[in-house]
Amino acid sequence: MQPKLTTGGQALCTPDNPTTGAAEETSIRQLLAHGKSKTALDRAKDLHKALGSAASEALLIDAYAGRIQALLDQNLALEAKSLIELVRGRYPSAKARLDGLSATSAARAGALDELLAPLADPGLGPESRAAIEQAVQNTVADLAAIAACRALPADHSLRLAAGALDRAFAAAASGPVTDDEIALPEVSHRSPLGSWKLLVRAIALFYRGEADSCQECLRAIKPESVPARLIPAMHSMLGLKLSAPLTPAEAALVSRTTESSASLRSELEKLDHAFADDEDEGRIFKLVRLAMQECRRLLPDQVETLKRLIYVRGSMNAVEGERLTAALQGMPRQDASFFRALAHGMETTSDTEDLAMACEYWDEFRQRAVREGWFGAKGMEVATLYIHMAGLLRRIPEDELRDLQRESRSNRKLGLDDFFFLFPEKLYERACVLDPHPEIFSQWLSWAVQESAHKGEDVAKAWHKIRPMDIEPLLYLLQAAEKRHAFPSALTYLDKAERIDAVHSVVRASRLRLLTGSALRHLEQKKPHLAAEKLKTMAALPQSRQGDRPAFMAALGYVIAVEQGDVRVMDDRRAETCRLLDSDKAAGMLVCGISAAAKRRPVEAPLVENFSLAERSALPAQIARLVAIAKDVGIKKFYFPVPYLEEAIRQFPRASGSLDIGQLRTLAETALAMGNDKFAYAVSAEGLSRGGDAEARFLVLRARSMPERQADRHVICAAAAAELARSHRDMETIGEAVDLVRGVVDSDPFTLTLDQAREVVRKEIAASDYPGGNSRGPDYSALLPGKLCNCPECRRARGEMPSPFDDDDFDEKDFDDEDFSDEKMERMFNERVPEGMPPELAQMLFEVLKEGYRNGLSPDEILEGLEDMGGFGGSSRGKGKKGKRT
Amino acid sequence: MTDPREVLGVSPNAGEEEIRAAYLRKVKEYPPDQAPEEFEKVRNAFETLRDPRKRTLAMLHASDPGAPLTSMLDGRAPRRLFAGPQPWREVLKAK
Repeated sequence: MQPKLTTGGQALCTPDNPTTGAAEETSIRQLLAHGKSKTALDRAKDLHKALGSAASEALLIDAYAGRIQALLDQNLALEAKSLIELVRGRYPSAKARLDGLSATSAARAGALDELLAPLADPGLGPESRAAIEQAVQNTVADLAAIAACRALPADHSLRLAAGALDRAFAAAASGPVTDDEIALPEVSHRSPLGSWKLLVRAIALFYRGEADSCQECLRAIKPESVPARLIPAMHSMLGLKLSAPLTPAEAALVSRTTESSASLRSELEKLDHAFADDEDEGRIFKLVRLAMQECRRLLPDQVETLKRLIYVRGSMNAVEGERLTAALQGMPRQDASFFRALAHGMETTSDTEDLAMACEYWDEFRQRAVREGWFGAKGMEVATLYIHMAGLLRRIPEDELRDLQRESRSNRKLGLDDFFFLFPEKLYERACVLDPHPEIFSQWLSWAVQESAHKGEDVAKAWHKIRPMDIEPLLYLLQAAEKRHAFPSALTYLDKAERIDAVHSVVRASRLRLLTGSALRHLEQKKPHLAAEKLKTMAALPQSRQGDRPAFMAALGYVIAVEQGDVRVMDDRRAETCRLLDSDKAAGMLVCGISAAAKRRPVEAPLVENFSLAERSALPAQIARLVAIAKDVGIKKFYFPVPYLEEAIRQFPRASGSLDIGQLRTLAETALAMGNDKFAYAVSAEGLSRGGDAEARFLVLRARSMPERQADRHVICAAAAAELARSHRDMETIGEAVDLVRGVVDSDPFTLTLDQAREVVRKEIAASDYPGGNSRGPDYSALLPGKLCNCPECRRARGEMPSPFDDDDFDEKDFDDEDFSDEKMERMFNERVPEGMPPELAQMLFEVLKEGYRNGLSPDEILEGLEDMGGFGGSSRGKGKKGKRT
Repeated sequence: MTDPREVLGVSPNAGEEEIRAAYLRKVKEYPPDQAPEEFEKVRNAFETLRDPRKRTLAMLHASDPGAPLTSMLDGRAPRRLFAGPQPWREVLKAK
């Protein structure tokens, strides 16, 4: 916005019309601002003629200055100079104003002598000096001319600075320069040539490839100075975005100082597509040659990098190695970087065979990295690498890995150790030696447990030996020993674990359970005096006085006394059990169950027929209570006399109302463990009708109790349970429900909404009767996905009978059929019995299997029983122990 | 996988002190209340680099073998040629 008042603060007005002059001044200034200097000058002349005031003269001088600047901008330096002389003659007051324009005019006209001569005058005023220096800074592009200007003495600082700058500029644009060459101490930052110094530095930094520093120098250049004219071109050279297109001169400079890699990019894009589309190898090799050719031409320092990238990509695409190497004109340099890229590439393909190759390459990387000083030969880095390699091997299917290991063993030229990278165990072992960290041992143990319990124990022992204060291996060893009924060992491990962390939840829960197991084992081995010792130890534990545990202790004491034939203790313990359980019948069932768990002769239980009505209706609650006691002390299978269970089932409809949620859950789980799905179904119906947070749990039990022909309903119940449990954050139920759904249906993951889950609960509560014969149950067709998966695994997972043609391996689920007759069982057994087995042994084995199946034992339990017999399927460890004894 | 060294802007051979200093610098640059996403990246990178095992794993997987071959040209300035002062002077004189 133009001011209304001009220099001197006087108003431009006439006596007749005080506003006319001011309005005219505004108009003239607007014309000047819009570059219409000629019209503005004419009107300023007219106004000054009319007013003749100091203000109108000042406006006129402004108009003249505008006009002179316009002439200079149009490169009409002579015309500008004439006008300057004219104004200088007519208006002496404009001298200072005209000095600047005069300098610019001289500079534009190339009249350097004329421009610079005043600088030799020591009496030159600061305003005039500033005007000349500004003209030099913003107008003079010829440094050599300044350096040679005779109007200034030879030792004038401006001449010296210009000469030094001109030489440095030429040097920086012609080849690499040292810092000393561009230090330019002759040029001060206050010099009108200061921006040239920055430009010379920017050019040198550009050629050195120091883009950030180069940009910093460019930013420091004064934008109105001559060197600033190179900024857009240099931005383009640095690959920065430009706000305006380059002029022809700028474009010429850019093309002469930089070589674009666009052609290489294009070749690489074609090669990328060829690899991605898995094109014909011939075309790939042709594109490789073209890309390498362009790289050699444009980026010779990147040839090795590109070779490596292409080789890795080619290996990932499984192209022929020799032809690829030929197209690359030689293998990439085989250093640590190369093998790292190759190994990483191979582990990312979807081919499991490549994982073994990746391990081999990782080992090559290790050797080279150590040689090249990346890390030490025995450092933690190597251990981490071994663990990574072992993790890769675990992704290879077991049979494939075994084949590879077998092949490596058959290679006679190399020792087995040369192929250690194909053996997870060797990798873990080496890693733990190099870096005995719990995390590493934990990974080794996790692998070993999957391989076999025997390996798991060996690893845990190795871990414990090296890190005796870690509790994890002790807990593993404790549980493993307990699993194979080696209670003394388990208790020894527990002692050690207690010394490390006595308040650990697993440690705290173990002692009573292990002592119970040990006592039962002693009873089984007909050593009641040892069982009595264990009972004494148990009695001293504070936790044995909690809940129903005293009743269990008393009942166990009774069973031991029976074995010892101590009638007085028997009576005493029996009475104590009755008192604590407040029921003679419950006490009878408890001692009966303990006796069965110790595999001793059955303790006589009172006949159900002799029970009163009240005692009968109390049976469901008592069974739930006894199962809870057994579970608490670690007895997994608790035996009840069949008539008791049958009566409990009969009584359940009447007694169900008096049972709490926990008892219902225990009963349903017991029923499922016994294989009585019908009872479990009835209990789940009662549980579902109670509502609340336990609905999800009872839906899972409902799903598990479903007959196999109702696979769809099984899936729906499990999916609904998962959703309901999710809303309550019941992680245990979610896990169990998801496991039931997983693998059963094709669509993964199969889920229901919360509303759908609630609808399922409503329908299941309404379906109170166990689905019989042709009963279809609730209609869930709208909720089901397209179809159920029919693979043998999924059919087994949802409890269906797989076809005998599905696979030929022995499968425990083959024996799950309710209508499995002896003949059918024997036929199936004979089809699968190992060749060469003596008929007597085969018959004996069949009888054991049949009995186990009829008693509801799982195949694992049957096999365990066989191991205990020591005659079939026993582990090598068991055999060793027996051998040692004999 | 982003190279944690790139995130923190430290050299491949950076020691613990240098890593820690770079982390503190980056946290000042990206405070959690102002740039939570960037801060998360910085923190993850620091967590990776301060744990020697994670640092080794990050080193093993520093490059992406599946990246397009053209990525080798990304961020790369074209080759620089010395052309002498004349073409530069042409631009300076042109205005």
